[in-house]
Amino acid sequence: MQDISLHLLDIIENSARAKAKNIYLDVIIDEESDKIEFLVKDDGTGMDAETLKNAQNPFYTSKAERVKKVGLGIPLFAQNAELCEGSFQLESELGKGTNLIATFKYSHIDRMPIGNLKDTLISAIIGHAEVDFWVQLTHSGVGKSLEWSFNTAEIKAELGDIPLTYPDVIQYIDENINDGIKKTEMEEN
Amino acid sequence: MKTLAELRKIREQAQADMKLRASGSRVKVIVGMGTSGIAMGAREVMKTFLDEISKRGLKDVIVTQTGEKGLSSVEPVVDIVEEGKDTVTYGNMSPDKARQVVVEHIVNGNIAADHVVSTKK
Repeated sequence: MQDISLHLLDIIENSARAKAKNIYLDVIIDEESDKIEFLVKDDGTGMDAETLKNAQNPFYTSKAERVKKVGLGIPLFAQNAELCEGSFQLESELGKGTNLIATFKYSHIDRMPIGNLKDTLISAIIGHAEVDFWVQLTHSGVGKSLEWSFNTAEIKAELGDIPLTYPDVIQYIDENINDGIKKTEMEEN
Repeated sequence: MKTLAELRKIREQAQADMKLRASGSRVKVIVGMGTSGIAMGAREVMKTFLDEISKRGLKDVIVTQTGEKGLSSVEPVVDIVEEGKDTVTYGNMSPDKARQVVVEHIVNGNIAADHVVSTKK
């Protein structure tokens, strides 16, 4: 993965595959503590303790159909965070859902850029019309306190039976998210 | 800033459009979005389909995404599903090839044979 936004899309796919009805994504930049934090929370099927432990092992996969038993998504993201004086936490409870927190040192020279967060969000939102997404972007620093939030529940309520793939709707979501990323100064490619 | 009032307008217009057409969606595009697909550029392929749909005003196309299907050697992979036709799987997709698939397959109705990995009933 070339940037963090691609890791996030991968993690969101895990949540969607776990039949989540709601996926929450928070990105929090705090310049004063020099941290950038990514939280992905879902209300999917969750994992038992054994599966949770295995999820961080690159030679484990939950996909029965896979011939080569590898699953690199979570281990790679964890490794990238830990290489940047950050941390990685995965919590889960069967029947309740899964929580993931990846923290990086914001100014770390090896930290990957956030990347194209907008395309990750649009791809996930439109590609999983059955899931509601709750997005919160927060960027604070000396004399700076920027915030933006977005959810698809109110958009879907407004649209009724019009699909998210309707041309003008795609454009609406695209521009909306673009505004939010600019507003919170999270453009980093 | 975008407002919900704008969405209401879109909805009213879309509902008027839909009355003119007999059925809902004609084509379903399914983009494989597993770890290897993403690493090979599946998100950019997905975004290309969305941009083309928006730009060309294609109102009868639905785009969704799915996990891996064991075709990692030809990622990114895209399925085109149409009622009453064989499902066509395209592989080694890129934004350029995705645009070709939109024009040749979705708009003109011909399979873009150069990029086909498999077809099945």
